[in-house]
Order: sequence, then structure tokens, then C-alpha cells
Amino acid sequence: MGKKQVCPPRALPPVPSFCSADDIPLSRPKKRKPKGKTPLDDIVQATVRRQSESSEPLTPEPQDVPPQRKRKKKKVPPDSETSFTQQNTASLFQNGNGVDVPEAEETVVRKQRKRTKKARPAETHSSNELEVEEDDIIEDEHRRSPDQQPVFAAPTGISQPVSKVFVEKNRRFQAADRAELIKTTENINVLLDVKSSWTTRDVALSVHRSFRVIGLFTHGFLAGYAVWNIVVIYILAGNQLTTVSNLLQQYKMLAYPAQSLFYLLLSISTVSAFDRIDLAKASVALRGFLTLDPAALASFLYFTALILSLSQQMTCDRINLYTPPSENGSIWTAGMEEEILQPWIVVNLVVSILVGASWIFLSYRPELDHSEELMFHTEIEEFPQDEREMLKSQ
Amino acid sequence: MLQTSNYSLVLFLQFLLLFYDLFVNSFSELLRTAPAVQLVLFIIQDIAILFNVIIIFLMFFNTFVFQAGLVNLLFHKFKGTILLSAAYLALSISFHIWIMNLRWRDSSRFIWTEGLQTLFVFQRLAAVLYCYFYKRTAVHLGDPLFYQDSLWLRKEFAHFRG
Repeated sequence: MGKKQVCPPRALPPVPSFCSADDIPLSRPKKRKPKGKTPLDDIVQATVRRQSESSEPLTPEPQDVPPQRKRKKKKVPPDSETSFTQQNTASLFQNGNGVDVPEAEETVVRKQRKRTKKARPAETHSSNELEVEEDDIIEDEHRRSPDQQPVFAAPTGISQPVSKVFVEKNRRFQAADRAELIKTTENINVLLDVKSSWTTRDVALSVHRSFRVIGLFTHGFLAGYAVWNIVVIYILAGNQLTTVSNLLQQYKMLAYPAQSLFYLLLSISTVSAFDRIDLAKASVALRGFLTLDPAALASFLYFTALILSLSQQMTCDRINLYTPPSENGSIWTAGMEEEILQPWIVVNLVVSILVGASWIFLSYRPELDHSEELMFHTEIEEFPQDEREMLKSQ
Repeated sequence: MLQTSNYSLVLFLQFLLLFYDLFVNSFSELLRTAPAVQLVLFIIQDIAILFNVIIIFLMFFNTFVFQAGLVNLLFHKFKGTILLSAAYLALSISFHIWIMNLRWRDSSRFIWTEGLQTLFVFQRLAAVLYCYFYKRTAVHLGDPLFYQDSLWLRKEFAHFRG
């Protein structure tokens, strides 16, 4: 590039001119490829370039100079800060001394190194590209001694690693810090690795296990809550239900919230117990019932408790709307209180016992979960070995 | 192939809708003094059930099994969920209409009859079963077997053809 500007139009010796001409086209395809050029374009350009290069050193024609300049200006790679000065000095040496064979050889060796770098896989290349290679830096030792330098050479800077790199964002190149960019690229790679190893099966399994843990907590909480509830009812009702009106007065505020909480906890517990026996597979569930599997027993008890609890909704609403029978518009009649409350208390007691028994059954073997075994493992076991290996690799 | 992030998002949405359903079923009776609020909650609940049904069908359509043409196999495998969802939606809408109709004028009135009580018990029981079957299906659809060609699928295909 600089050569064309400095050189007068004269025939150059073949060796240095070949090397310096070769210097530029080698770096071209590397920079132009990512811009979406087709391979056909590259081939056509390479052929044209070769023709022009082969004819250039022998007979430099003045009319060919302006288009070549234009093309070279366009194709200067954005990150060629390090190579620019080197090319410049090389051409200057040629101007000064005529022939400079060792410099040309060094350039060829460097090009070979760059070629080997290209052959690496793309993913490692992207992160390594940002790092500063030792080869890219020309140290003071490699520089020419002052007597070898041309007299009229322009002062050349030492090639140094630049802390900024230019990244294309929104169709514009913006300066970004090299170190930060390397960090973010590495982080993205790590994240991608972690994400790729986390499959949908793992997500499903983790959700299933989380729900099992929630269920385990709910079983215990429900058992404790049911016991507390029945104790409160019996205390408020007094011995042989002598203070029923006291129970109604005190419990009317609690009736609906208690019923709502019961339903919530019973629902979660029942679903969790169904999960344990894998109720959807009827044959497995039936076998569980027949063999008195603890999970199957617990499921049955929870479901019974749920039905009993739901059947008391009407009585709960009646308790919630309690006003003494003497008042106008009361839905309670005198003497009927004990008659209505007696079955309600018994049902609550039965629910408490059922819930407590279920909790004991399930907490006896908390790790028991047929659902997980059947849902995620049986179908794979039916496959032959190679199929399983294929699945694992995916 | 189903992406893990997409599946996680869909699963989260499904569980959110299920939890909303459970929450309204549990605590809607506490809001009986504000019938308008209760009505809005019920409408959202029914829409949530409908959304959940739509999501599960979209998940079915996304499977390799469905795209391979084995629709029958998929529906046979998850018929419990499909039937229960439909039954629960029907029960919920009927119960909501009935109870709102009775309580709209006077929310502190005792409205319970044998019929309403029966419908209430069936609707709540169906809710629990729906929750279990739906959760199971949603988790089961995370199995990569449904999204790729496999020996199991070929066997099923041969079975259905034969």
C-alpha cells in the first residue's frame, strides 16, 4: 500500500516485489469471508488478483495504478495496526537498499503461522483471536540497526498491543475494551456449556422432585394442623358437648379460613400421594393397593379425607353464618345445634385420623416414588443398549 | 427438538396457572362479601383452565410423535388428562354460574342445597384430579423421547400400522 505511494514507476527486482505483493492478497480472503461473500466471488477475485499481481512486478503500467490503489485502500483490515508498520518498513527498506531478502523470508514464515492458526476450530478461534499473540509484536531486537535503515525513511512506531478492539454493533464498529471482551466471550461459552448439558428431562425431573419435597412438607403440616383443629374444637365444645353455643360463637370466625386451608393442604397432599404411586398407570396403582403399598394406602386415605372434608362445606357455611337462634333471621333453631354439630365434629375427627395415618405411612418411606421410576426410566430400559447410548450422548 | 429454556418457561406458566386455580378454589369463599371480585376471579380461573388446555395441546403439536402422524398414540397416552380437563372446565363453569347466580343479590344468604353441595364436591374433586393429571402430563412431555426418532416410536408406528 505504502509501496505504491512511495515508489516511482520503475521496474523492481523480482524477489522483493513478489514478497511484498504477496503480503497483501494473503490476508484478504480472511477478512472478506465474514462479510457474506460467496465462494464463487472469492474464486473470481483471487483469479483477477493473481493475474494483476503476476503482471505487476514485471511491467508496471501507469494506467493500472489508480484502480489498484482504490482496491487496496478498501481492503485494509481494521485490525492491521501491527502489520501496517511492518509492511511500511519493509517497503521502505526496499526503497533504500534495493533488495532485502531476510525480511521477506520472515514475512513468509509469519504468514505460514497465520495459516495454521486459521485451521483451528471456530469456537476456540473466536476467543483466542482477541488475545494478543507474541508473534504480532515486533520487539526492539528484531528491528534493524540504524546503519541498515534508509536515510529518508519516515519514523515508524513500535508495534504494541492495543487495549481497544473494534466490534461491529448495529452495523457500526465501536471501540470495546479487549480484556472485557475476552471475559464476556469466555463467560458466554461457559454458560452455553452449562445450558447444553441441562436437558428438558432434567428440568422435568427437578420440578418433579421439588414438588415431592413440597408435598413432604405439606403432609407433615397438614397432620399437625388437623390435630390442632380437632383439639381446638373439642376444647371449645367442652365435655360431652355441653358448651356448643360457645363453640359456635368462637369458631364461626375460624370456620371458613380453616376449611379453605384444609382444602389447600389436602389438595397438595393428595396430588403428592398420587405422584408417589403413579395413579395414572392403573395396573401399577391397583397392584400397590393389593400389596398394601404405603403410598397407595396414603393416597386412598387422603382422597377419603378430601371427600369427607368437602362434604362438610354446607355445615361450615352454616357455622360461618351463625347467629343465636333467638335473633331474627337466624338460620339456626334452638335445640338443633347439637344435632348439626355432632356429625361435623365426628367427621373432623375422622379426617384428622386419616391425615395423621397417611403422614405416618408416607414418612415411613419418604424416598418412595413410583412416578419418577416409571415415568423417566421404564421406557428407556425397553431400548437396546445402543439406543440408550445414543440418548445419553444427545 | 424442544429447547430447555422454552420448556422451562412453558412449565413455569403451566404451574402458575395451576397454582392460581388451586388458590381460587381454596380461598374464593372468603371473598364472598364482594361478589364482583369473586366473579372476576372465577372468570380468570375459567380462562386459566382454558389456557392450560390450549398450552398442553400446543405441546402435543410440538412433539415428534405428533408430527410423525401418531396423533392417536399421543391422545391415547394422555386421554386421562384431556378428558379430565374438559370435565373440570365444564364443572367449574357450571358451579361458578350457579353460585354467582344465587349470591349476586345477597352474598350473606345461606344458599346451600343438596344439588349445589354435590356439584361443589365433584368440582373440587375434579380440580384435584385435574391438577395431578395435568402436572404429570406437563412433566412427562419434558421427556426427550417425544421429540426425536427412537426405537420405541418405530415399534409404536409398526404396531399402529399392523
